[in-house]
Amino acid sequence: MDALKKTVKLSLRGVSRTYGGRAALESVSFDVYEGEFLSILGPSGCGKTTLLRILIGLLPPDGGRILLDGRDITSARPSERNMGIVFQNYALFENMTVLQNVAYALALHTKDKRGAREEARRMLAYMGMEEQIGKKPAELSGGQQQRVAIARTLVLKPEIILFDEPMSALDVDTRIALRRELKKLQRETGITMIYVTHDQEEAFALSDRVMIMENARIVQLDTPEEISLHPANDYVRTFVLDNLRAKVESIRRFVRDGDED
Amino acid sequence: MKTDTPRAGRRFRADGVTKLLFFSLFAALVLLPLFRMLTNLSRESFDKVFGSPVIGEILQNSLLSALAGTVISVLIAYLLALAMQRTAIRGKAFFSVILVLPMLIPSVSHGMGLILLFGNNGILTRLLGLSSGIYGFPGIVCGSVLYAFPVAFIMLSDILRYEDGAPYEAATVLGIPRARQFFRISLPFLARPLVSVFFAAFTMILTDYGVPLMVGGRYKTLAIVMYQEVIGQLHFGEGSVYGLILLLPAVLAFLVDLFNRGAGNSAFVTRPPEPSRRPAPRILASFFVIAVSLFTLLPVVSFIILGFAENYPTDLSFSLVNSLVITALTAALGTALGFFTSYLTARSRSPLSSLLHLVAITAMAVPGLVLGLSYVLLYKASAVYGTLVILIMVNTAHFIASPYLMMYNSFCKLNGNLEAVGETLGVGRVRMLFDVFLPQSAPTLLEMFSYFFVNSMMTISAVSFLANASTKPISLMINQFEAQMQLENAAVVSLLILLVNLALKGAVALLKPSFLKKRRQKTF
Repeated sequence: MDALKKTVKLSLRGVSRTYGGRAALESVSFDVYEGEFLSILGPSGCGKTTLLRILIGLLPPDGGRILLDGRDITSARPSERNMGIVFQNYALFENMTVLQNVAYALALHTKDKRGAREEARRMLAYMGMEEQIGKKPAELSGGQQQRVAIARTLVLKPEIILFDEPMSALDVDTRIALRRELKKLQRETGITMIYVTHDQEEAFALSDRVMIMENARIVQLDTPEEISLHPANDYVRTFVLDNLRAKVESIRRFVRDGDED
Repeated sequence: MKTDTPRAGRRFRADGVTKLLFFSLFAALVLLPLFRMLTNLSRESFDKVFGSPVIGEILQNSLLSALAGTVISVLIAYLLALAMQRTAIRGKAFFSVILVLPMLIPSVSHGMGLILLFGNNGILTRLLGLSSGIYGFPGIVCGSVLYAFPVAFIMLSDILRYEDGAPYEAATVLGIPRARQFFRISLPFLARPLVSVFFAAFTMILTDYGVPLMVGGRYKTLAIVMYQEVIGQLHFGEGSVYGLILLLPAVLAFLVDLFNRGAGNSAFVTRPPEPSRRPAPRILASFFVIAVSLFTLLPVVSFIILGFAENYPTDLSFSLVNSLVITALTAALGTALGFFTSYLTARSRSPLSSLLHLVAITAMAVPGLVLGLSYVLLYKASAVYGTLVILIMVNTAHFIASPYLMMYNSFCKLNGNLEAVGETLGVGRVRMLFDVFLPQSAPTLLEMFSYFFVNSMMTISAVSFLANASTKPISLMINQFEAQMQLENAAVVSLLILLVNLALKGAVALLKPSFLKKRRQKTF
């Protein structure tokens, strides 16, 4: 990212949350820049999913404030935040076709039903899903389902899209292909993306900046390069080493099979 | 869930209020009537019941006949389930219909079938020139088996269908003999579910008065005594005491099942053992299945023979219309209640959800006769008493637990993030319920409707104390005809109930594939 034109899109100030006496999030503060791809990385139970649910508004924080373009949205409804979310298992509407899935929410909010369908069709075409428009989600592959889920949020023109470990149900090849598509999508649309994952390779490959979390706290938030060169502590160092190891693995694979990436 | 933000708080309260509303509905349908019956218990009634010289005999009769009926039912059901699930016999689809036919007619009809065949003037008694020994213990056991084995069969078939075949394959590879495999693999797997099946069949038989009414003769059981105390002599006090006695094993069965349910569920995908293709088990299984099928068909055939042998002056259309109204409304309202309740319990978890869940399945622990008496005691003075409304209420309460659980399980299987997606897309909960959840539940809704319909059509238990001359459903006409010694009419009624239920089952079977086609299997 160009350091000169960083505008703060989303800002968290001392956001905290406890679950049954245990801190799930301890006074977390950070900024997300306009058009940035930010990954939130950490093992399960580190607070990253809690953070995501608070960001989208499914869970109220115990304390702290969330600002979107300087506007306080701490207690706004999920639908008032202009954010979209793609869940791990996509949660598509199984009873509807691909087109209906994407058009549904849009059509609900407008009188122009035909326009909504057209818009949904355009979005699906953009995602390379024209052929699948009349199919039910159950007839699609995992990767195709993910594209529908992305189209479903994209069609509402969100300013930020959140991803909740969207690749974890997919096989390695699909993951790598989708990773590229996601990156391309972000470049083309310029939408701010916040991506929750426990896969360090994924986080480092995709992100402008990576935020590493441990025990309800942010350990380090920086570019992949900075984190690799200057890990904040031993915990982050293991992440970096794991990532290096994965890189070496993929180079080995390339040398052996001639497979790219 | 914590609720600091005002909006989340409001949503949370709305959720709580809805749940409380449904809870009160179930309270009115199940808890309050039951409570009323328990408060009706008096020292005096206890003394009358337990001071009676025959109480010991009644208890013994009930226990013995129910135990014998249960053991035989479960044994037949297990062998049937084995034959159907573990051998490659022909005509499985056909037999699976025949074997559950008894579930479509009232228990009293099973008793009547036995009378028609083996009674003093029975078809087979006369044909073979025998003297009848069917009245009393043998008749009750026989009729109860007819009544209870299909239920046990369905439960056991389901259990066997989800048994994993891998341990058997491993054992066979290791050269472990068949008999040992049975004791070391089959039995341990079956032990817990078998307890549930056993209790279910036992309570069914123990609390049924229909079979003893027909073939019991002078052999009195608890259920028939309770029925006669209330219907014949309006002894509500004594009735309540008998009700309490019947309630105890039913509650025990309920608790056992509740305890077993959580334990039995394994999340692993299993493949059942390959059905045996060896000739010996196949032939044996075929013979057994055919024999049991004949046993279930015989009474039906006797209804047909008797039913069409004479003319009937009796016009049944009035009570048939009553029944159809009660049945259709119970099925519609019950299905709706089950749907909304399970949505509240399965799709938004809170302490109130657990409470609502518990009260929704509580009805399972209340025998029909007990529920019926409870309704009489609570609603005697109310406006609904003596109308079709109370019959619809009591049937809904009586049968809600199973359909509720069907829907609950199906809701639990739907993606856990659907509500969250709806919220972020700006689609309200109610909207989501009708646009997303309802369409996906169509096959389950159909099954629920069918369950309510069939059971309300054939029930004689909860409705027996509540119906009067103008609201009487057709199933209770069998009791009336029995009292008037008009067995031909009773046979026609049984046949009619069977036909209506068969027609509904047929319609459901035809409709279901078109619902299922809309949600094909997941393919990755």
